[in-house]
Amino acid sequence: MSKSESRSFFGKIFRMRSEDREILKIVGLNKEQAGLARYFDFLVVAAAFLLFCGAFHLHVMLSAGDWDMFIDWKDRQYWPLIIPIDTIMFPAAVQAAFWYYFRLPIGATLCGVCLLTSVWIGTYSYWHLWTMFPIVLNVPSIIIAGCILLDVILLIFRRWIFVACIGAPLFALTFYPSNMAALTGYYVPVEHLGSMASMADVIGYTFPRSATPEYIRIIETGTLRTFEGTSVWVSGVFAAFVCIFLYMLWWQIGMAFSTVKTWSQSPKLKKYLGFKG
Amino acid sequence: MAFIDNIIHGKGLKKSVNSEKYSNDKLPWYTKTTVFKYGNFGIFMFGIIVVAALVAGARIYQGLYGFEHGLDSMSQGFQDYWMTLVKAELIGIFSFNVVLWLYLWYSRERDMDNVKPEVELKRYINLVLWILSYTFIVYWTTSYFAYADGAWHQTVLRDTSFTPSHNILFYGCIPLYLTFGVGGFLYAMTRLPSFGRAISIAYTFAVLGPALILPNLGFNEWGHAYWMTEEIFSHPLHWGFVVLGWNALAIGGVLMQIVIGMSKSFKKINSKFADNSNSEFTENL
Amino acid sequence: MKINYTKLLKIFLISIFYFVIDMVVAYAHGEKAMEPYFRTRTVMFYDVTWSTDNVKVGENVTIEGKFRLHSDWPQAVDDPDVIYVNQSIPGPVFAKIESYLNGVPARQSFRDMEVGKDYHYKMVLQGRVPGNHHVHPGIAIKGSGTIIGPGQFIKVSGSQKDFKFPVTTMDGVLIEDLETYALADVFKWHSTLAILGIFWLLWWVWRPLLIPRYQALKQGREDLLITRLDLTVGILLGVFVFVAIVYNYNVQANKYPITVPLQTSRMYTDPLPVADPQIKINVSRAEYDIPGRTMRMWVEVKNNGDNKVRLGELTTANLRFINKSFGHAMNNVTANYPSEHMADGGLEIDKDKYINPGESHKMFITAQDARWETERLTAFLTDVDARVGALLFFYDEEGNRKILDVASSILPVFTDDDGTGPSYQRIGR
Repeated sequence: MSKSESRSFFGKIFRMRSEDREILKIVGLNKEQAGLARYFDFLVVAAAFLLFCGAFHLHVMLSAGDWDMFIDWKDRQYWPLIIPIDTIMFPAAVQAAFWYYFRLPIGATLCGVCLLTSVWIGTYSYWHLWTMFPIVLNVPSIIIAGCILLDVILLIFRRWIFVACIGAPLFALTFYPSNMAALTGYYVPVEHLGSMASMADVIGYTFPRSATPEYIRIIETGTLRTFEGTSVWVSGVFAAFVCIFLYMLWWQIGMAFSTVKTWSQSPKLKKYLGFKG
Repeated sequence: MAFIDNIIHGKGLKKSVNSEKYSNDKLPWYTKTTVFKYGNFGIFMFGIIVVAALVAGARIYQGLYGFEHGLDSMSQGFQDYWMTLVKAELIGIFSFNVVLWLYLWYSRERDMDNVKPEVELKRYINLVLWILSYTFIVYWTTSYFAYADGAWHQTVLRDTSFTPSHNILFYGCIPLYLTFGVGGFLYAMTRLPSFGRAISIAYTFAVLGPALILPNLGFNEWGHAYWMTEEIFSHPLHWGFVVLGWNALAIGGVLMQIVIGMSKSFKKINSKFADNSNSEFTENL
Repeated sequence: MKINYTKLLKIFLISIFYFVIDMVVAYAHGEKAMEPYFRTRTVMFYDVTWSTDNVKVGENVTIEGKFRLHSDWPQAVDDPDVIYVNQSIPGPVFAKIESYLNGVPARQSFRDMEVGKDYHYKMVLQGRVPGNHHVHPGIAIKGSGTIIGPGQFIKVSGSQKDFKFPVTTMDGVLIEDLETYALADVFKWHSTLAILGIFWLLWWVWRPLLIPRYQALKQGREDLLITRLDLTVGILLGVFVFVAIVYNYNVQANKYPITVPLQTSRMYTDPLPVADPQIKINVSRAEYDIPGRTMRMWVEVKNNGDNKVRLGELTTANLRFINKSFGHAMNNVTANYPSEHMADGGLEIDKDKYINPGESHKMFITAQDARWETERLTAFLTDVDARVGALLFFYDEEGNRKILDVASSILPVFTDDDGTGPSYQRIGR
């Protein structure tokens, strides 16, 4: 907590501001305690990063993983529907805890960054190095853009109900364009064994997963009406609708999980520990 | 050598620093740092290095023997390389766990009413270090090695519950995160008044939820044996793992309990510290 | 304590090396763990050929053959309403170039297959990862998984670095290597968003964080925790992210003006036209002699055709028992057929002869081989569905083949040949 201000670029951006000194002052931390509180901060940040890298990735992997894992599952009907619905849960819960107790609008972005980190490490180390698939097959989805928007909406409106009604739909609707900003190339048409296929289909076919036959894919089999040729946005709007309510639910779940509640301890055990009375 | 001493004895004892060899002005610089004064960072780092070595070892082992001996569970190579590993892991890690947990119980605080706030703060930091090591192994388990499981099953036919990916994930990593999950829980309960006076519901969930992933394997393997021999990763068969994994969010409740507890200790040392912890949270602590 | 950094570096480098190398020698693919009813009564592979057993990286191998969907389809296996022409290889060590079912491209799955009928499949694989790989054809049945055909070791030599998979798109763009296609875009965009996300996290984490913020909030000083600057930076970031999405989405849309969605039609093909064999078979009893590792079958064959026929082969679970005294049956075995799928003793037939048209002939067939046990086929003794199925190949005098699928309950025999009595302990292993 030194007062000297660094002249470096990052030092200028991340310098201690007068408000920050004011916080320390009104809380009344002495120098040693401020140092200890800072040490505690860093440990918790590290733990939170690892925890969400693990728990959030597990959640996504086992409830929507196939759409995230494979390029030939990223369709127009389910992918822009299921991934936003599935990935809004943790960000909502983590936002709740960080916002309610600390007024930190970073919960969603933290989840997004953690997910991207762990997915890429896993993809490279296992899908690519161990089972030898080229990375094109396993290009993951990315949710960071929606997460940042969710955090910014929370910062602006400061009430979860507005985030649920404005941020959550934005999260769902920006999912598809923010992914297609990198993946459009995988949908160019190719003539493959006498019929038309997208490049993603060709990738999935060429690098075979022996335990994943083609029919296993849960993807669009055709819309019954054309919706002006924009069926993907219909999925997006449906995802937005579901996300509103899931956000509300998961905000409450996040609150419940971060509440300090206790059960009474057995008197015998308390005696062993030297509690009196 | 002071560093080694710290690892062996722990900083709480400060054996190395208090010995006659060092005069006050000759104390090494790091003895004045926060990291040194609060919590056993040395032991923590030692644990992290051991876990990291185990993780690296497991990855190398999978790379070497996964495809070579892991494809056919009926072969002798599989028995030698993979089943031996499972037995070694289960026996080795669980016996270490029992010894560690017993040690934590027998070395417990026996006078909880009179723990000094300075000591309490050190123990809070130690608890955070326990939790950090828990999340460290939780990451490797639920993300890294779980993804390995996905890669393996999509690639080759499932023919046993003891595939090279399961053998590391379920029978190695889960017992190992029990070490730190239950260990931290016991540490908190036996040393910190706020965790000993009453049972923290959040901490119970945060430890038990992920721990129950091991029994949930029964459902998983039953399903794979009777209905689903194909690998859809997001199949409802796997949702048990997901719901149990959600309990990791309860670490948030533990964090709040530590924040409130540390604030109370700060207040005891420094009367200027303005502790306004919400009383509804703290009535039981 | 002095630390030897050179040594540490060496250990580190060796660890990295082990992370990167891959040792690829693969044998079976776990088909032994499949219950015998799966392997003896569903997809019955025959006439499997591999065009070569040695390719360089980038060279092709063709796998071809036929299969019959057994008429006695087990209850536990889903009906073959949807199937996929699959393969079983240890990871993508080969790239799949082409596959066909009855000559129809098998890019996608097929619907409405008929039990009791025959189909022809073909696939062309291209060597990708050097090593000695066991390559099986397979037929995946929706709901029940892949049933694996016989396997052959194929050696791939060369270096994986030489593997390139060029593709030309329909608008005429040549992509030099599919493995790295469009990855630069992905890395660029993902790292852009990651950097923005990390910036946002650092913006908050860099300031007094948990305990000070919590206590300040309890004093009602939200104004200190979220300042005007924070709000400005947040709004700017949000606008920037939004604009970046729209901009990059449009850049990509212009870069690839023509796109198509993933393709999902189900294919259909009629089964192979196979003439009625005009042979009726009645299996009166089938036994499995546990100590002798022998399957015995008492069958009555009625020849309703116009030509004399003789039994030449029994094949089940990719294990072939050949009547070695019969030239036509021996001619049906290709020279390089993997020996692991050939029963050493062959098929022994009591009263082996050509059966005349209209004649009804009782035969006693013995199929003895240790592979019954090593391939774990004896598990039908502990199964809920203790039936065994097989294909029987008959030949007429000109060598024309007639194929029949038979199935029967199978009875275990626990007595040793020398009459030492039951050995129940062999059951339930």
